[in-house]
Amino acid sequence: MQPLIDIKGLSYSYEQGQPALQDINLTIYPGELVALVGQNGAGKTTLVKHCIGLLRPQTGRVTVCGQDAAKTRISHLARQVGFVFQNPDHQIFHDTVQKEVAFGLQNLGLPRDEIEKRVAAALRDVGLQHLAQVYPHRLSRGQRQRVALASVLAMQTRIIILDEPTTGQDSLERLQIMELVRDLNREGHTILFITHDMTLVARYARRVIVLCQGRVIADGSTRDVLSQTQLLAQTLLEPPQITLLANRLNGLLTPGSEVILTVDEMVEHLHKVNGGSIDGPCD
Amino acid sequence: MTAAAEPVVCFKRFSYRYPNTDFYALKDINLTLPKGSFIGFTGPTGAGKTTLIKSINGIIPHVEGGACSGQVLLKGCPTGNLSTAEIGRLVGTVLDDPEAQIICLDVEQELVFGLENYGVPPDEMEQRITTALSSVGISHLRHRSTRSLSGGQKQRLAIAAALALLPEVLVLDEPTSELDPLGTEEVFTVLKQLNVKHGITVLVAEQKTELLARHCDQLVILSQGEVALAGTPREVFKHKSIYHLGVALPQVTELALRLNGGRCHLPITLEEGIEFCRALVPGGGGKLCNRSLT
Amino acid sequence: MARVIEYVYRESVVHSLNPLSKLAWALGVMFLALAFNNVYYLLTLLSTVVAVALLGKVLKDLATVFKGLTVFAGILVLLQVIFFQGEEVLFYLLPGHILPVTGEALYMGLAMAVRMMAVVLSFIIFLATTQYKDIILVLTEKLKLPYDYVFMFMTALRFVPTFMAEAVQVRYAQQVRGCPVDSGNPLQKIKAYATVALPLVLISLKKAERLAIAMETRGYGSGIRTYYKEPAITKLDMMVILSTLIFIVLALFLRMQGYGVVQL
Ligand SMILES: Nc1ncnc2c1ncn2[C@@H]1O[C@H](COP(=O)(O)OP(=O)(O)O)[C@@H](O)[C@H]1O
Ligand SMILES: Nc1ncnc2c1ncn2[C@@H]1O[C@H](COP(=O)(O)OP(=O)(O)O)[C@@H](O)[C@H]1O
Ligand SMILES: [Mg+2]
Ligand SMILES: [Mg+2]
Repeated sequence: MQPLIDIKGLSYSYEQGQPALQDINLTIYPGELVALVGQNGAGKTTLVKHCIGLLRPQTGRVTVCGQDAAKTRISHLARQVGFVFQNPDHQIFHDTVQKEVAFGLQNLGLPRDEIEKRVAAALRDVGLQHLAQVYPHRLSRGQRQRVALASVLAMQTRIIILDEPTTGQDSLERLQIMELVRDLNREGHTILFITHDMTLVARYARRVIVLCQGRVIADGSTRDVLSQTQLLAQTLLEPPQITLLANRLNGLLTPGSEVILTVDEMVEHLHKVNGGSIDGPCD
Repeated sequence: MTAAAEPVVCFKRFSYRYPNTDFYALKDINLTLPKGSFIGFTGPTGAGKTTLIKSINGIIPHVEGGACSGQVLLKGCPTGNLSTAEIGRLVGTVLDDPEAQIICLDVEQELVFGLENYGVPPDEMEQRITTALSSVGISHLRHRSTRSLSGGQKQRLAIAAALALLPEVLVLDEPTSELDPLGTEEVFTVLKQLNVKHGITVLVAEQKTELLARHCDQLVILSQGEVALAGTPREVFKHKSIYHLGVALPQVTELALRLNGGRCHLPITLEEGIEFCRALVPGGGGKLCNRSLT
Repeated sequence: MARVIEYVYRESVVHSLNPLSKLAWALGVMFLALAFNNVYYLLTLLSTVVAVALLGKVLKDLATVFKGLTVFAGILVLLQVIFFQGEEVLFYLLPGHILPVTGEALYMGLAMAVRMMAVVLSFIIFLATTQYKDIILVLTEKLKLPYDYVFMFMTALRFVPTFMAEAVQVRYAQQVRGCPVDSGNPLQKIKAYATVALPLVLISLKKAERLAIAMETRGYGSGIRTYYKEPAITKLDMMVILSTLIFIVLALFLRMQGYGVVQL
């Protein structure tokens, strides 16, 4: 299969200081749902900025949909890659949600009725259709994040990159965004999201890339990567509480079995171990 | 719990409406927060956590305007009768955005800012600065530029700047929301230490319930401007209505509730979760739990 | 650009001077620059300013500022050339005897450019070698300016780099939505700048609100202030202030004698 994003030998340093990225090699294929994790300053944002041409590789090469990202106009790449910034306030400036979402489409030069159709559809997808005429800065941070997401969705790009889409939000808003991300992936979008929230990673990602001080230290299926507690600790991350719980009980409850990622899995597993009857330790 | 301790903050039938709005952001809040306690406030966005915090540190009613009824008492004195500066001596404030609350260019100056405002004698400042910096563990950063600090360090600096003014109460509005897991851990470790070692009352709005479960004596869940639930974390998590309040439970708690509906001593931390699971399995080596909470 | 008016930490004589004497020096430079219009006098003045930057070990840090100022100086010269008509025509800017460049205009333009550079640089050196808190302290305590205004002004300066960084992020955010920030068409460019400016204003307002709360809760404006460390006035400071005064008097004298002024 032809890769959508292909990064070869990428290194990058900002003007002052140490290299932010060192010799990154990554390939992302169509249909993947990838989480990019690592502590603050690990280089996650720097890495994804290369995928949409905001930064140009100092060494190495980034190919997006077959085009060299360093040699392609950003406005051109924007037709292939949608990018949702960490802080939605960096982009929002229109006086209604609807206009905000339509802005990107106007830049693409689409006809008016097409724009209207796409905006309506995108707002429906993120569940904000009833707020189309509201002033965006009236909305909560979570809702503004979804406005930003809608404005990227409407551009109907093959790839969608989200930089910490759930930071600063409550648990319900986090789940709403991640459910949406999963639906988009099922509809065929290739998705790369950055997060610190390992519970969300465990629940939604299929592949995890771990960045530590500008290097990729792990890249594999979610289950594989989350089982490597030591490795995650290097970049000061911890698997979800339920995974830790299962690990600590290892040998007792889970002889030689797979890593537990979610509460559902743990419940199921305990039922299996207990021969199907769990009534709680006391009553 | 320090039930016998005198209340340091007390909400009496407090309601508040922002200017130009037609609904109450806080409705008839009655809360007594004892001195020396560690209290967490949680609830979905818009529940009123920030508004509650601002009512304690005097931003409401002194800066925000709007309409309020009822009272917030700080050591028995209504906030309406105190100036923000007077309140500032008693209540230290930390906000969520590590960038926007740092006023000065270097670490030392950030601490000095408050001290100078309050007219603290210069020869007393030295002592206060060293103590505040060392109690949040950033003495080594004293001469650094504030811009070169990590998120967790910035938040600890914000705490130190508040501490230099010797407050009895620290209020924090989602202080870890912009931080990574390490920064989050740094902040909560410092808060716990301040609470235990120095007896400072910590009032923190926070989304991460796993942390709250580990550190708080009391948990208050807000919903649409009202106190929906209050009690020890265990009591609160056990409550049936918790599922409708948009609060994520710690995973071990969720697991226990799923398995036996919370009929036993509910685990709320990892260690308790391990104990719980051991007891579940025949031959697991765990003591069977026979404490039952009402 | 982000590093224009920032304090640069170095160990140097200039850094250790009292802010008051540095301010006096900068004002002195301004006075001398306005007193004369002879390019050689002004060039001498500019080279002393550069020498002070060298002494303060901040010359390298001012390189970007210097570049910006040269462009600005070029524009000043050009404006003079276009609008000031002298007699001695040197050459024409456009073929066909359009836009004559006269010697007088060129001379005036140069004088103005050098004067501008000396003044601006001296103040930037003052800012680059003096900590904000010391500037605030001197302006309020010694010069008795109102604390509120001084603090607000200095804080606004302190947030300039943050503001610049935000501007880059906003520009990125609009670019990835296909907004042609990088296009050549001037009309589109103006439109594109609006898409950057608007979110920037909104973000800044939000930040300002947070900052106000942070200041309020830490006793800002609560009454009598104290100061942690007041910079001392040393012998060297006295010498700097004294010699600035001497130069000013000397300049006045020379000027009245007709030196350093070119009549055009
Ligand atoms: N504009 C910039 N100028 C200089 N250094 C930067 C800039 N942006 C990021 N860095 C540095 O590059 C490293 C990686 O940053 P970043 O990619 O933002 O990390 P992450 O997104 O993983 O938190 C950090 O050490 C950071 O300080
Ligand atoms: N400055 C304001 N003006 C008007 N309404 C506000 C303002 N700040 C908050 N609100 C409203 O008050 C309610 C409570 O908000 P807030 O205290 O910020 O909640 P939380 O911090 O729990 O997310 C929300 O409905 C919010 O829309
Ligand atoms: Mg980042
Ligand atoms: Mg809030």
